[in-house]
Amino acid sequence: MRRLSVLIPAFLVLGFFSRLGAEEKVSFSEQIRPLLSDRCFKCHGFDDETREADLGLHTHDAATRDLGGYRAIDLGSPEASEVLLRLVSDDPDDVMPPPSSNKPKFSPEEVELVRRWIEQGAEYETHWAFEKPVRPDLPEGDATHPVDRFVDERLAEAGIAKNDRADPSTLLRRLSYDLRGVPPTVEETNTFLAESQADPETAWNAAVDRFLASPLYGERWARDWLDLARYADTNGYEKDRPRSIWPYRDWVVDALNADMPYDRFTVEQLAGDMLPDPTIDQLVATGFHRNTMLNEEGGIDPLEFRFHAMVDRVATTGTVWMGLTTGCAQCHTHKFDPILHTDYFSMMALLNNADELEIEVPSDEVGKQRAAIEKQIAERETLALAEVDAAQVAAWRKGFETQRADWTPLAPVETKSNLPFLQVEEDLSVYASGDFTKRDVFELGFDLSQLGFESPVTAIRLEALPDERLPGGGPGAAYYEGRKGDFFLSEITAFKGGEALALDDASVSFGKISVGSGKAEGMNIFDGDGSTGWSTATREGEAHELVVNLAAPVDPTGRLDVKLLFERHFVAALGRFRVSFTSSTGEVTALDPVLPAGDATDEEWNLAWLRLAPEAAELRKPIEALRNRLPDHPTTLVFAERPAENPRPTHLHHRGEYLSPKQEVPPAPPHFLPPFAEGEPANRLAFAKWLVSDRNPLAGRVAANRAWRAIFGAGIVDTDDDFGYQSELPSHPELLDWLAVEFAESGWSFKKLHRLLVTSEAYRRDGSVSSEQLERDPNNRLLARGPRFRLPAEMIRDGALRASGLLSEKRGGPGVYPPQPESVTAMAYGNTAWKVSEGEDRYRRSLYTFAKRTAPFAAYLAFDGPTGESCLPQRDRSNTPLQALTLLNDPMFGEAAEALAHATGLNDPSNPVASLDAMFRRVLTRPPTESERDEFLAFYEAQKARLQSGELDPVALLSDAPADRAAEIAAWKMVARVLLNLDEAITKG
Amino acid sequence: MNLHSQTRRHFFHDCGLGLGRIGLASAMAGGFANLARAAVNNPLAPRDTHFAPKAKRVIFLFMAGAPSQLELFDNKPKLRELDGKPIPPSVIAGQRYAFIQPDAAVMAPRFSFAKHGQSGAELSDRLPYLASIADEIAIVKSLHTNQFNHAPAQIFLNSGHPLPGRPAMGSWLSYGIGSDADDLPSFVVLKSGGNLSGGAAMWSAGFLPGSHSGVPFRESGDPILHVSNPSGYDDQAQRDSLDLIRTSNERALGTVGDPAIQTRIDAYEMAWRMQSAAPELMDFASESQATLDLYGAKPGDPKTAFANNCLLARRLAERGSRFIQVYDSGWDHHSQVEQGVTTKALQVDRAAAALVRDLKMRGMLEDTIVVWGGEFGRTPMVEASAALGRSMGRDHHPQAFTMWMAGGGIKPGITLGATDELGFHVTEDPIHIHDLHATLLHLLGLDHEKLTFRYQGRDFRLTDVHGHVVKKLLA
Repeated sequence: MRRLSVLIPAFLVLGFFSRLGAEEKVSFSEQIRPLLSDRCFKCHGFDDETREADLGLHTHDAATRDLGGYRAIDLGSPEASEVLLRLVSDDPDDVMPPPSSNKPKFSPEEVELVRRWIEQGAEYETHWAFEKPVRPDLPEGDATHPVDRFVDERLAEAGIAKNDRADPSTLLRRLSYDLRGVPPTVEETNTFLAESQADPETAWNAAVDRFLASPLYGERWARDWLDLARYADTNGYEKDRPRSIWPYRDWVVDALNADMPYDRFTVEQLAGDMLPDPTIDQLVATGFHRNTMLNEEGGIDPLEFRFHAMVDRVATTGTVWMGLTTGCAQCHTHKFDPILHTDYFSMMALLNNADELEIEVPSDEVGKQRAAIEKQIAERETLALAEVDAAQVAAWRKGFETQRADWTPLAPVETKSNLPFLQVEEDLSVYASGDFTKRDVFELGFDLSQLGFESPVTAIRLEALPDERLPGGGPGAAYYEGRKGDFFLSEITAFKGGEALALDDASVSFGKISVGSGKAEGMNIFDGDGSTGWSTATREGEAHELVVNLAAPVDPTGRLDVKLLFERHFVAALGRFRVSFTSSTGEVTALDPVLPAGDATDEEWNLAWLRLAPEAAELRKPIEALRNRLPDHPTTLVFAERPAENPRPTHLHHRGEYLSPKQEVPPAPPHFLPPFAEGEPANRLAFAKWLVSDRNPLAGRVAANRAWRAIFGAGIVDTDDDFGYQSELPSHPELLDWLAVEFAESGWSFKKLHRLLVTSEAYRRDGSVSSEQLERDPNNRLLARGPRFRLPAEMIRDGALRASGLLSEKRGGPGVYPPQPESVTAMAYGNTAWKVSEGEDRYRRSLYTFAKRTAPFAAYLAFDGPTGESCLPQRDRSNTPLQALTLLNDPMFGEAAEALAHATGLNDPSNPVASLDAMFRRVLTRPPTESERDEFLAFYEAQKARLQSGELDPVALLSDAPADRAAEIAAWKMVARVLLNLDEAITKG
Repeated sequence: MNLHSQTRRHFFHDCGLGLGRIGLASAMAGGFANLARAAVNNPLAPRDTHFAPKAKRVIFLFMAGAPSQLELFDNKPKLRELDGKPIPPSVIAGQRYAFIQPDAAVMAPRFSFAKHGQSGAELSDRLPYLASIADEIAIVKSLHTNQFNHAPAQIFLNSGHPLPGRPAMGSWLSYGIGSDADDLPSFVVLKSGGNLSGGAAMWSAGFLPGSHSGVPFRESGDPILHVSNPSGYDDQAQRDSLDLIRTSNERALGTVGDPAIQTRIDAYEMAWRMQSAAPELMDFASESQATLDLYGAKPGDPKTAFANNCLLARRLAERGSRFIQVYDSGWDHHSQVEQGVTTKALQVDRAAAALVRDLKMRGMLEDTIVVWGGEFGRTPMVEASAALGRSMGRDHHPQAFTMWMAGGGIKPGITLGATDELGFHVTEDPIHIHDLHATLLHLLGLDHEKLTFRYQGRDFRLTDVHGHVVKKLLA
């Protein structure tokens, strides 16, 4: 750094701004660090690669270093500190921050703060969020509730008047939305109002208990967690095909309803597969990090998108459990927080050693259905077998005798590949796992002497074998773009003694190509064209074989090398296969591997004939039909830690780019936080445990803050996703720490935490706002008033359905398709159909709506619902004309209005007041006021008159118009629609 | 340290402004402090630019799938010479391709080229209409991008990032300067020609407030979702209902005092205006036959969907929309590029040129930027595959491709940039997608380095940490 003029501006020397109170100690954490972090650290911070002038201001030592006769911060002579001179310079070449940075110049007040801070010794402090939270003493006060002690203290200091408690029906509605995501029913409200009259406190506690115990609780809070988990039912990116991972969604609901402690909740989701003898549920839980997107576009580099998924996993883990913007350290050391570039990849290494599997989640229901159908199949086969003509079978069987060769399977003595991990299994087959590419090459070395042949080898057989570890049950490793379990063998080459062997006459038991129009003939594998080959698409999960003859028989001793090339625009290697050799001469061809062995019994041959012979096709038709009806168990996506023999290395990537891997990085937590416990292996399980241990000072704070925001509308730290140096200061720092400690010490119980928040007085205040409050605390951070804000998308729909009596209580299972215009998914790739669900599935809770990433359900998107494309710690709460159009005109809300009209409008035709009151109470949890009653009834009468006069057509207005009272019902529907559109209806008041 | 007492004071001093998550840093730095106040009430309120803009709006004709620059703009005689021979390994080594292998052979351009206009712009014979306005446009032959697959490249061209989650260019514009339309969306997305790989991420507001999202016009049913009254409602019934909603909401505002209620009241009124503006917008009855013929538009005919959308784009521009994204899919010619380009050019050439002419006739070209181009280019090498049944096609080529632009401060009648004799790499004036973004924002009066939004502790930009304004493109 070049030294600036030694002339010290007068106002620095004189302490021009001493009116700020020179005696008061300047706080580094609150007054200095935010300034340095925002305006200086980008060039003078933690990242030594981009540090300008070799000057760092991020630590005391760096800032006070001798720079050759002068110092950035000079404790001996504060006014001579280079930093101060730079801050006040008028010369655009000298002033800091430089004009090109687009950062604001320090104001005189800010300069004075820095000057005093230097004068007071320029002490640096650990950032509050990186220090272990300690439970503070409760402030003095009258309040009995601990939360209120903290809140009241701040309000008293600010001198802002608190609102009174809200009226009971408003409170119950608020509580019901917060704990269950739906409004209370009229009955629930009546009960609560009656109980409140007797004893408000008991009534409140009872309502809280009831709501916490409701299964609706888990569904409501699962939505928040699924935003973080970026849950969706499709793969994302271009094709955005469906995936099955809803068992994970149901796991979250169940775990929350069971009040699973947050530490266990965390460990199971991040590393359930690594727990001892994991249960299916614990495997299902690892779906958390399988919610990353999968690019199925033809021709992509699959490992590039795996890298993007890992990047997402690191960022998401950082956001959810640490409240840190770890993603910023993907490209370089974090500019503002002490997260090194290597810390980032060390965290990636902790998460990076898993294979990604799809597993069956056995369902009792499906099991029963399968058993029943299988029984029918067995019975039918027995019946059919009774009619088999032995001569016909014998003739069929004889046809194979001449083609049958004696095959001897042989395990390779050496395996090599470009990347996939090849392992020889007990049955001498080879199993490929790990990472695959669009062009995989397997090289297999065989010692022919092991065959014990006396005659020369005449042909080679390659069996493609199914395996439940593989996608779609194998035999291939294809997992995207193509069919799951597909493969594409482009070429086989064989070498002996360094010479390529001429191949001749290849045959396959079955061949079919998917994604393309080519033929899958055996001869393709030695035609020298990589774009032709053998594939067994549509019959995944079965064994197939390819037989290739050697043009000239070879000596059955010594080494023979076989090279398999798999080359397509997607991953298409074989996942499991076995190589056999024969010395048989004559017609050696591929046979269907399910044919019985040559020496099988007549019964076995009869059954094979029934199942396979072309002449039995008619006979087995009904049996095939039954087989096609066999339901599959649901599947879900999980993690499986890799075998010790095949760990996946993690590299630092220059500038975070996939194509620039550098040195390998060991797995470790970020260096600025305490390390793993002594003796813990550095792996995903240890990381998961560490994240919810007292070594991570952020776990409790971030989780408690999230709960706070969900209930009060803004976080104590309002940058939920950033607790680092750039974060907003907490509105109630001690309260946050108190809650964090309380949450951990109460056994990480969400239900206890939620109960704690909603039983506070702060929560129960009236939500109206005075102009003084609006002026002094517009965002209600000090909680002088109750939380009041627009409901999330799902609660708006669920609320309308529940108020109208349509809401289904069916829980769990695959996503459903509530009504929306077809044009919504028509915008997406492939012009995907949106087949609207029938029956109660039309009215399931919004949590269960099929979530398509590239075309999210339109009504939710309009109300800031998630796309599931990345972790969403905080939703926007916009207020737009498109929302108005949705609520007004979307037929889905029209159905709710109509149901509401039916439910309330027909009670007593002579008493529209009662109908209106019932409607109000269902939607707004309160009866109308007198003036509302007048206005709404006037509207009702006016519309009814138009409907009766024929100006409006009740039949057009209703989907189901009763013959006798269509006009009335239509008018009530119009009233209901108005109610559902009120600001109050979609607001937690 | 007394964190508590310190915080109290600073909380009020620094945090009580009610700015929430809006771009505080940019509000301060960019000198448009009104952004803060405006954003509290109406996030779409018009805002000042950083400096005087040349253009007020953009119509981006996005040729999704990636047109072959070698068949349309970038004439490479050398490819005819080398037709059928492999590309030298020195050129292709280390490049990743979607479908072809490194030993793929060169394929000659399928069409003949000629020079047009006073500027002598070279265009293939597939673009006769564009040739007729050659002096109005700037042809840029030196675009390059980071991505070689459709979805990431399309998202990149829209948001400067290959993955979903970042705001689209139109959203940045909406955030930066607000909306000029009070009865129609400001950022509109039109589509023709089939599948769009990038999906909704291409018009998403990303981490910006959701109100800055693009509004896709639907190809069937209501163009704007739910813009029609529900079945059985006439306008009076709708207005009566809105009046009752308004009365109720105003009463609530009076008792509760929450300013969000006023915003909602305003939103319902704008929804009402949209309900009448949308049908008027979509009704081409006021367009003369001459105008329809200029574009080759036939209202309601799916065969002229792109032409209809170009005309609709002009109508939106007239009504205040700021960013009109017109997607036309079907340019992904992995096989039979000759027929493919011929077919697509017939659908697109006339209407795209007509849009420029029409805007000029109406005096709107000077403040409307028209951009034409796709997410990347196509390989000089042939694509053929037995498995896929492909032949005589071209694969994806991110290293060099062509776009054209017109109006709104773009220098007319120039050809900028050049590629090597194979059309493989850029040799002159390389223009990255980030540079394109920086240039477009510049023309709209925005400094791409100052248009920032604080998210997750960082000030994000459309151009990330890259981008330079291409001075040579400026008039």
